[in-house]
Amino acid sequence: MGFFVTSLIFLVVGIIACLFTRICCNRGPSTNIFHLTLVITATICCWMMWAIVYLAQMKPLIVPILNEGE
Amino acid sequence: MDLLRSEPMQLVQLIIPIEAAHRSISYLGDLGLVQFKDLNADKSPFQRTYATQIKRCGEMARTLRLFKEQMIKAGVSPSMQNTRNSVIDLDHLEVKLKELEADLLENKANNEKLQHTYNELVEYKLVLEKVGEFFSSAQNSAVAQQREHDVQTTVKGSIDSPLLLEQETTAFSAKQVKLGFISGLVPREKSIPFERILFRATRGNVFMKQAVIDKPVLDPISGEKVDKNVFVVFYSGERVKSKILKICDAFGANRYPFSDDLGKQFQMIREVSGKLSELKTTIDVGLLHWSTLLQSIGHQYEQWSLLLRREKAVYHTLNMLSFNVTRKCLLAEGWCPVFATSQIQKVLQRATRDCNSQVGAIFQILQTKESPPTYFYTNKFTSSFQEIVDAYGVAKYQEANPGVYTIITFPFLFAVMFGDWGHGICILLASLYLIIREKKYSSQKLGDIMQMAFGGRYVIAMMAIFSIYTGFIYNEFFSVPFAIFAPSAYACRDPSCRDASTTGLIKVRNTYPFGLDPVWHGTRSELPFLNSLKMKMSILLGVCQMNLGIILSYFNAKYFGSSIDVWHQFVPQMIFLNSLFGYLSLIIIVKWFTGSQADLYHVMIYMFLSPTDDLGENQLFVGQKFLQLGLLLSALVAVPWMLLPKPFLLKKQHEERHQGQSYSLVHSTDDPIESGPHSPHGHEGFEFSEVFVHQLIHTIEFVLGAVSNTASYLRLWALSLAHSELSSVFYDKVLLMAWEFNNTVILIVGVIVFICATVGVLLLMETLSAFLHALRLHWVEFQNKFYVGDGYKFAPFSFALLSDEDEL
Repeated sequence: MGFFVTSLIFLVVGIIACLFTRICCNRGPSTNIFHLTLVITATICCWMMWAIVYLAQMKPLIVPILNEGE
Repeated sequence: MDLLRSEPMQLVQLIIPIEAAHRSISYLGDLGLVQFKDLNADKSPFQRTYATQIKRCGEMARTLRLFKEQMIKAGVSPSMQNTRNSVIDLDHLEVKLKELEADLLENKANNEKLQHTYNELVEYKLVLEKVGEFFSSAQNSAVAQQREHDVQTTVKGSIDSPLLLEQETTAFSAKQVKLGFISGLVPREKSIPFERILFRATRGNVFMKQAVIDKPVLDPISGEKVDKNVFVVFYSGERVKSKILKICDAFGANRYPFSDDLGKQFQMIREVSGKLSELKTTIDVGLLHWSTLLQSIGHQYEQWSLLLRREKAVYHTLNMLSFNVTRKCLLAEGWCPVFATSQIQKVLQRATRDCNSQVGAIFQILQTKESPPTYFYTNKFTSSFQEIVDAYGVAKYQEANPGVYTIITFPFLFAVMFGDWGHGICILLASLYLIIREKKYSSQKLGDIMQMAFGGRYVIAMMAIFSIYTGFIYNEFFSVPFAIFAPSAYACRDPSCRDASTTGLIKVRNTYPFGLDPVWHGTRSELPFLNSLKMKMSILLGVCQMNLGIILSYFNAKYFGSSIDVWHQFVPQMIFLNSLFGYLSLIIIVKWFTGSQADLYHVMIYMFLSPTDDLGENQLFVGQKFLQLGLLLSALVAVPWMLLPKPFLLKKQHEERHQGQSYSLVHSTDDPIESGPHSPHGHEGFEFSEVFVHQLIHTIEFVLGAVSNTASYLRLWALSLAHSELSSVFYDKVLLMAWEFNNTVILIVGVIVFICATVGVLLLMETLSAFLHALRLHWVEFQNKFYVGDGYKFAPFSFALLSDEDEL
């Protein structure tokens, strides 16, 4: 379904971002974990935001009612 | 992990030989990694060793301030021209500054004297010219009258009017009486009262003539430009003269001598003009000398003031050290990070070597139970986020730093409240401008607001990037939605679209893949749908952040090795929060997945009121009733679990620790109750009632806070609604209305109003508002789950951190 596929895409993008950060700014183990934490937190936040909005629209209970004269 | 906990700190003791003291402290100031403790705290500022040096620095600072004033008056700006690192000695600097000051003051006094004389001469010249005009015109008219009279007497030789003739001659001969006169300048505002008072004082026995000078004249006494009139007062008699003189002095009228001899007048005018031009050249030369002096000072001003600030700081620090018994070494105690040990030792060696002293400095690590300062090693990106966290409270030594997660969650929560990718792009451009011009702005002195905005440029950039993302999710570009990723999922029920405004559209295609469907904007059911969505979103995000907070408290408990905290604080807290609000999040998600029509308010409320009732049409999944019962029971168990065990366990722990010492306590004190606070080795006593009350407060705070904090997250919904409504109003009612009129002028006016409203209300006010609320969510709802925040910040002695303002 669209939901799981896109979630998978988010996961893949997150992993790529982590690898990218590791390759670009490799600055010692402690700093690497820090950068990794930031990237993972950002990915999770963005995914949650998207997932919530997507899920709410999957099986809607309220439908759009247009204004008159549109 | 880098920023998670404070750098390990240690208390060090430095023993420095006296000859090397000044140099070592300045080198340590360059390094900037030691925070000195004040070992002479009980001495007044005048009793300290280096008080005289500081007084000298203060004197020199005063001189530098004088120079700065003069430079500002002359319009010379201090320039950092030479970067030569010549180590100027403080003594040399003192001598030089004294010389320059004497020179400058002398120059200034001379200039003023010359200027005064110059102004007087200018006034004198004006008096000579104007009064000369009076006299010449008066003489001309007198000559004309004489001629006329002669003509008359020759023509009119009749006897008919002998009296008239006599009267005229007597009138004429009266002119031959010797009159004295006083000439000078009087300010124009005072000229009329001046004349009136002269008239009254002398009973009208004076003759006054005034002439206006066009340009304002520099008054020699006050040094300002004043409009003046030239006056001549004719009088007869000595008493009248003294009266007039007094009145002139009272009115501040400057008097200048004048002779009525024509030849002398010309001579005086020539002399005065000559003197004027001489004086002018002298004054010009003086001014030139002054400005070159100030320019040369200006080249070195920055260097000197930097040196002075450094020296003052070094002496203040030296005052904090204590002399040891033999008075041959200074003792210093301070905090430094563990990683800086080798650097500090190298610096000390270099200092003692440069001073050619016999003995090297000693570096010793001390063991102490005092709580060290907290030091986070931040770069320019993370420092602004760390400051946001520190504004609430500096982290206790080695506790988990919320700053790590704040770097991402703070801009994210801001963006949830701000979501509009058009506005996000505007803010991103502004912050990128600040970031690109970093170097230039960091060396300038900026105003207050600009300083804050510049300091937070990375925070604003992050906020803008996340706002663009949430803008795409909410599908708002200045409140206009676009179908970027796919066509809208909704369409009319039948081809004629009869029911579109009554029962609405239906979902025909797959869900809109990324974000909110563009069809919603402007519909009648937009608000019910969006409100439901955003409220549920706020609850979900809030529960996640609070869980993160509780998990961080687990990491703290594990780090400090407190298993009591793990089992009797972390576990019951997790159980309580998740069995209530975690369950709420779960049923929200299940309802979305299944599309059921269950009323979640009903479910949650009746879970408490009548948990054993059948759920009926509100059933979302099988076994829901039993799950709810189970969760309710575990929540009920969790509350006494976080209240009761911990105080008793702490008491048992305390007793175990002091079993061996209980014998000595009995000998030392009579009153067993007081054995707690007065126990040796600086150990705190254990008051059971205090600990119990503390735990009770903590429990109540957590339990009530679980409800109130979750509700507090609804501000994410509220602000996002406000933002989208404001933005939609500005678009619809300003821009679109202006478009309807089909008139260019109205359109331009409309566009301008739209831009002003967007920038003022949405980009500035809404940004600040969302910033504030996101900050509150972090400071209160997130941090009260784990943060203690009662540490103190590491403030090393560092020249780089000396304030840039002129604190001289």
